Amino acid sequence: MSDGAPAQAQVDQAIDWLVKLRFDSPSPRTEQQFQHWLASHPHNPLAWQRVSHLSDELAGLPKDLSRRTLDTSQRQRISRRDHLKLLGLLAVGGSLGWAAREPLGLPQLLADSSTATGERRQLQGSDGSRIQLNTASAIDLRYSAEQRQLELLRGEVSLDSNPNDIRPFRIDTRVGPLATLDGQLLLRENDQGLLLAVRRGEVTLFPTSAAPRRVQPGETLQVWANGSFQAVTLHGDPWGWTDGVLSVQQMPLAEFVAELARYRPGLLRCAPEVADLKVSGTYQLADTGQILQLLSRSLPVRVEYRTRYWVSIGAA
Amino acid sequence: MQINDTLKPTEVALLYQAHHTWLRGWLRSRVGCSEHAADLAQDTFVRLLRARQASPLKEPRAYLSSIARGLMIDQFRRRALERAYQESLAHLPEAEVPSEEHRLVILDTLGRLDRALHQLKPRARQAFLLAQLDGLSIVQIAQRLEVSRVTVERDLAKALGVCYRLRYADE
Repeated sequence: MSDGAPAQAQVDQAIDWLVKLRFDSPSPRTEQQFQHWLASHPHNPLAWQRVSHLSDELAGLPKDLSRRTLDTSQRQRISRRDHLKLLGLLAVGGSLGWAAREPLGLPQLLADSSTATGERRQLQGSDGSRIQLNTASAIDLRYSAEQRQLELLRGEVSLDSNPNDIRPFRIDTRVGPLATLDGQLLLRENDQGLLLAVRRGEVTLFPTSAAPRRVQPGETLQVWANGSFQAVTLHGDPWGWTDGVLSVQQMPLAEFVAELARYRPGLLRCAPEVADLKVSGTYQLADTGQILQLLSRSLPVRVEYRTRYWVSIGAA
Repeated sequence: MQINDTLKPTEVALLYQAHHTWLRGWLRSRVGCSEHAADLAQDTFVRLLRARQASPLKEPRAYLSSIARGLMIDQFRRRALERAYQESLAHLPEAEVPSEEHRLVILDTLGRLDRALHQLKPRARQAFLLAQLDGLSIVQIAQRLEVSRVTVERDLAKALGVCYRLRYADE
């Protein structure tokens, strides 16, 4: 070595001496031998100095603080490594069959859940995560040793993951998979593809044919089937239904009616001449008939019931 | 034995020209953020300047991506440690909270220790922490872990060897 750094052999010897002298009770004879070793090669003192400095540094760490930090980080690390692995695999393959390829996979089907039109349901996953299904929706939920997995089969779902479970969450949708370590998010299938809103945590979207994108709390994205996506501003609160309400601001009537129609069996039509009227307010989803009634009072519209399952909204 | 087996700066420059854009794209598809990807790509080439082997010239992209992957993992690990450190500080009685300056020194040392521990088998990790943090002797550790003295000595030497490499050779 050109710069006079100790060679590996001298470092190894210095380490052996350190173990003997510092972690054992050395006899006077051992100490004598050590002094002899120290003087036996010009690079030995430097090797010794470096090795003992390392050990001094570590011995000077505050014990409780260090223990706690290392333990916590070790626990978090497991999940981060899993996440990295997950991200890596998703980015490479992006296929849906990945759970089956996991060695410890053998995912157990714990819950298949669905709701009828007009129904909303709250579920609790075996990991403690809270899941809500909106009207006419269906999901699959699977847990394995390495990951939690939710597949949105149809409709709309909100997920509030339990942060105490360190397994990463993978969410499969028709526009591609998503992954999060911990987060609160909402997914809604629509004609164009999928609406994604994030409230807490960080969610990574892996669109079928575009680069991954991290989605931060407060963001709402429309993802199209071809993998492109765009941040959107809505005419209402996408989370409203999780509290049982439809909450809108300046929403065009046609959009409002389409929204309402999701919760009602049968046909709900809006005539073109009133389609652009604006609706604002918070409406209880439990009674959509009452919402229609309220509309006819606050807007210049007439609600016409042809049958119970065929309702038209036109100009008053 | 070769005296100087690191890459020459001109070789690194060539690799940079040929593969930098590719590497940035590769990283972007993994970290999902182009600035972050650009930083990591830069760090990868800095690391390459210090790398002690000539092999990258044969399979440059495989080599570059393996360095970049290592950096990504290091960064995740470092962030996990920093978060754990902040959490742990918050749990400490006020009298025991170290000064601002000392806090950074501790974090730095913990960061190195954490990286070293990561390269050790669980038993060696435990033995090393019992010796260095708790100040137990070899005999006490051997009793605690129900292994022989010689095994403990070997574990401690192994751990110190890893710490040494991280401290004096890796950087």
